[in-house]
Amino acid sequence: MQDQQLNDWRTHALTLESEVNKVVVGQENPVRLITTAVFARGHVLLEGDVGVGKTTLLRAFTRGIGGGYQRIEGTIDLMPNDLVYHTYLGEDGKPHVSPGPLLMSGQDLSIFFFNEINRARPQVHSLMLRVMAERTLTAFNKEHYFPHMLVFADRNQVEREETFDIPSAARDRFMMEIPIVVPPAHDIMESLIFDTRFHDVDQLISNVPADILKFDQLNSFAKVIQENIQASPALRKYALDLWLATKDPVAYGVKVSNVDMKRLVLSGASPRGMGMLLRAARVNAWLNNRQAVVPEDIHAVFHETIAHRLVFSPVYEMRRTEIARELLTGIVNAVAAP
Amino acid sequence: MKARNHLLSLLFAATLLVTAISSSADVVLPSVDSRFVSVKEINPSRDAGYVVGDKLQRTMILTVKQPYILIKESLPIVGYEHRYRGQVSGIELTGIDIEEQRESKQSVYTIRLEYQVFKIGRVAKPAILRGEIVKLRQQGSKDVKQFRMPSFNFRTSPLSVYGEVNLKNELSPFVAPLKLHADKEWLALKIAAGVLAASLLALLYILGARTWLPYMGGAFAKAYRKINKLPEDEQGLQQAISTVHAALHQVAGQSVFGNGVEHFLQTKPAFSVAKPEIERFFALSRQIFFDSHTPLDLGMPPKQWLKKFCRQMRDCERGLRPEVHA
Repeated sequence: MQDQQLNDWRTHALTLESEVNKVVVGQENPVRLITTAVFARGHVLLEGDVGVGKTTLLRAFTRGIGGGYQRIEGTIDLMPNDLVYHTYLGEDGKPHVSPGPLLMSGQDLSIFFFNEINRARPQVHSLMLRVMAERTLTAFNKEHYFPHMLVFADRNQVEREETFDIPSAARDRFMMEIPIVVPPAHDIMESLIFDTRFHDVDQLISNVPADILKFDQLNSFAKVIQENIQASPALRKYALDLWLATKDPVAYGVKVSNVDMKRLVLSGASPRGMGMLLRAARVNAWLNNRQAVVPEDIHAVFHETIAHRLVFSPVYEMRRTEIARELLTGIVNAVAAP
Repeated sequence: MKARNHLLSLLFAATLLVTAISSSADVVLPSVDSRFVSVKEINPSRDAGYVVGDKLQRTMILTVKQPYILIKESLPIVGYEHRYRGQVSGIELTGIDIEEQRESKQSVYTIRLEYQVFKIGRVAKPAILRGEIVKLRQQGSKDVKQFRMPSFNFRTSPLSVYGEVNLKNELSPFVAPLKLHADKEWLALKIAAGVLAASLLALLYILGARTWLPYMGGAFAKAYRKINKLPEDEQGLQQAISTVHAALHQVAGQSVFGNGVEHFLQTKPAFSVAKPEIERFFALSRQIFFDSHTPLDLGMPPKQWLKKFCRQMRDCERGLRPEVHA
């Protein structure tokens, strides 16, 4: 029974991927990673320049998954209550209170997109991180639940002024940080410029069939995936070695160019991070029609689930993206399995 | 005239005296008479090449018939040196030892003599161990008989040749070449040569990546040898797969996984001919270690296939075209 369920859902998931790839071209790997995060039920940080299609991508997924999509822009004057409600004077001249982005879709909230989260103040981060962790919010003397919500947040990595960097403890709550870059293929770039179907985002999104997945069944099905995709003792040992290597890369002979390895890593991956890595790896194995996780499943999500959790010496923070990629590649190359 | 006669008389008398002294220094005695005594002599094994300081041992075995016995006091004492015509011979007695064995009809005396050469010359010269005089007496009688034992001729050699020597005149056929005893040196040389040879072999072994033959040190060559020694059970199979993984790791310089085969072959094109087998190996590894549902058909027991695969990789490693198709 569960095998049939797994097969059916895999078909739906691949259909969703296929449809999204038709709308957002040249982003096959981010699409696969977002699909993985959706079925692993993990929040996602998006990394990328402006105008590369992050919003379009998320809206396309929301249409395919179903449920509500909400979005908020991070600004320096954004306050926590702006996420919950906003007030205005109505036509009757009386003050009115309307639900904010978090409450607007109620329990059907499926995807919440926090654009440029690092422009918001730490108070806002605090509220957002609590909602991410507990999927509940207390407002208007009532407990609001968001059982199906996934948060996608975007960080503005270019501008540093008037930004509040997300601390490592907060970054650790995101399952993945997915880079979204302009596709390098020239034909795709040309298509993005000249193909008129990309000019009208609403029209473009409508091309994705609605409700390919049932958003309100994702939680229970995610549990089925985690329970049915096996991890052998050899794989457990491999994952453990990877974890230890993130903590002490020198012991595994990992080197990064122009970096003093003894001073580089202040903190490796967290237990939560490694747990999320294995959750994502299981989903990847399922998407590839396997009944057990293999090292390649871990590799498929290793950079995206671990890189943003590593804490480097401040002197290396400016080169974080480059160093983290080289470090994690070195770890994958150094740690053998079996 | 009277004075002249006196002088002549004195000269004649001096001549007679010198002649008498010379004669008394080399008394001619009868040789051994077999009626009274018989002699057996054991002489040194060589008779030439003696230099100053060398010692010669000589043993005389006298068999004296009854009723005669040897007068031991007649034998020379240590320090005795023969003279010949008033000149010392340069051969000195440095040791004498007598053993007596009395029997009913005869007495046997074993006399061990040791001489030392104290003469040196610029050329090889003849020398002699003159026979000692032995005296016998008859018990209860004053009758004394004396005999001279046989002598032993040999040659002394100079330690070194000084100045110009006419070899033609001095090239005695009896002069043996001077030989140094180099046994210890030869032994030391042989030991040193042995140690050197062993060190060179050890150095070759180390420089050859701990192998005795070229290409034995390759990662897959080692893996192949190791796999053959592993037990034929599940654990042995797992160890064998791990060994091949380690060999791939060593050859590639990094971990190689199923999704990295293409990259591996790009960097190590010598293994390209084995691409299908490499992919099957990763499928086998995946089946054994990670996912037992991985479909795989090797056509033979996994361990056997693994041995063939490893041999194929070893051939690739050696730059050969694999002969065995797993």
